Amino acid sequence: MSILVANGLTHWFGSEVALESVDLAIDAGEHMAVLGENGAGKTTLLRILATAARPTSGRLEIMGLDALRERRRLRQRIGYVAHAPGLYPALSTAENLEFFCALQGVSRARVGETLEVVGLSSVARRAAGSLSRGMQQRLAIARAILHDPKLLVLDEPDASLGSDGADLLANVMKDRTVVLATHDHALANRLCQRTLTLRHGRSVGTATRLHVVK
Amino acid sequence: MTNSFVVALAVARKDLRAEWRTRELVPALAQFVILALVIANFGFQIDSRNAPSIAPGILWLALVFAGLVAFGRAFAAEREQASLEALLLTPASPVAIFAGKALAATVLLVGCEAVLLPALALFFGTPLSIQVVAAVLLATIGMAALGCLFAAIVARVRARELLLPLLTLPLWIPFIVAGGQAVQVAMGASGSYDQAMALLVDFDILFLVLTSLAARFVLDE
Repeated sequence: MSILVANGLTHWFGSEVALESVDLAIDAGEHMAVLGENGAGKTTLLRILATAARPTSGRLEIMGLDALRERRRLRQRIGYVAHAPGLYPALSTAENLEFFCALQGVSRARVGETLEVVGLSSVARRAAGSLSRGMQQRLAIARAILHDPKLLVLDEPDASLGSDGADLLANVMKDRTVVLATHDHALANRLCQRTLTLRHGRSVGTATRLHVVK
Repeated sequence: MTNSFVVALAVARKDLRAEWRTRELVPALAQFVILALVIANFGFQIDSRNAPSIAPGILWLALVFAGLVAFGRAFAAEREQASLEALLLTPASPVAIFAGKALAATVLLVGCEAVLLPALALFFGTPLSIQVVAAVLLATIGMAALGCLFAAIVARVRARELLLPLLTLPLWIPFIVAGGQAVQVAMGASGSYDQAMALLVDFDILFLVLTSLAARFVLDE
């Protein structure tokens, strides 16, 4: 059963079309990679799926809810990792997550568990601003899974994650529906069952893992 | 859904904690208001006779410009850190997030006022009474609500430093007029202190309601 259904998603930035009539259906538990060159529309698509942006036209249904009308309800069930980590540098690693516990309405006990998952327990008291880029990315991933979302939207999360980044992503993607934008075809092949390729904002087709390998 | 009160307090606590650790804003604001008073001290011939009519004007000028900086930073910092999107992509009410930001900015401005008011009394010999403090605090509430709302609006545009005063100052005029009158009376000029304070309360209620209604639309996009 499809957990996410998009029909004719179109997004304009002024007179430039960023996304044009993209259709999408993702089943529960499925992992889909979004591929494409820079400027292909990957981030725009992911921001719409994460309810961070509204499409200019088109329909989007996530978990049976109209994603354009029920955005706040859906945000309890969606985790989003954006391009920039978007952390609070003056707060510690744990404080960053504790703050989002209050906003997500989840117990602070989740902080320790989540830091363990992303391998940041040892730097829980360090200021987020003093962490390496890779650690900051891990913290952004931790924030995205803090509320145990059913749908994860990941925009190039592998950037600066390091050698065990793919293992970390495989771990956080387990038992979740995932839309993952990446330039790394090998990573997409390893972590996702299906790919959607965008070119100039248009879908140029989906493929299964086997086709990507070919 | 999350508890709005808890969210507002969490947002305010986060902002205040970040300011405590970085000390970016309050020392600069305190320095600014002291410098403003020093300049005014040399620029005006103030004595015990004209102090009650001139000092309130200096007080409100310093407060208005310090407020513009304090409220402008409330959302600009989130933009610079790219953290605003993460904040708004939670199920928390945008109104609660706005209230938390406004609360933190208010506390920072009150911290600045804690320097400004004694310094004003020191420089110009004006009385530092509970009536003066009450008038300034009442005006700060409404000014914070409006200032933070416009700061949230202009945080998305490039010329925010220019736009914020242009949008905010006209709507701060009622607070400056009523607050100015209340402070003048409290410093010894003639007039009705109670009437000015009642007007400040009315403006506070009006603008708190209006900004709460508008914040949802400003922050939800």
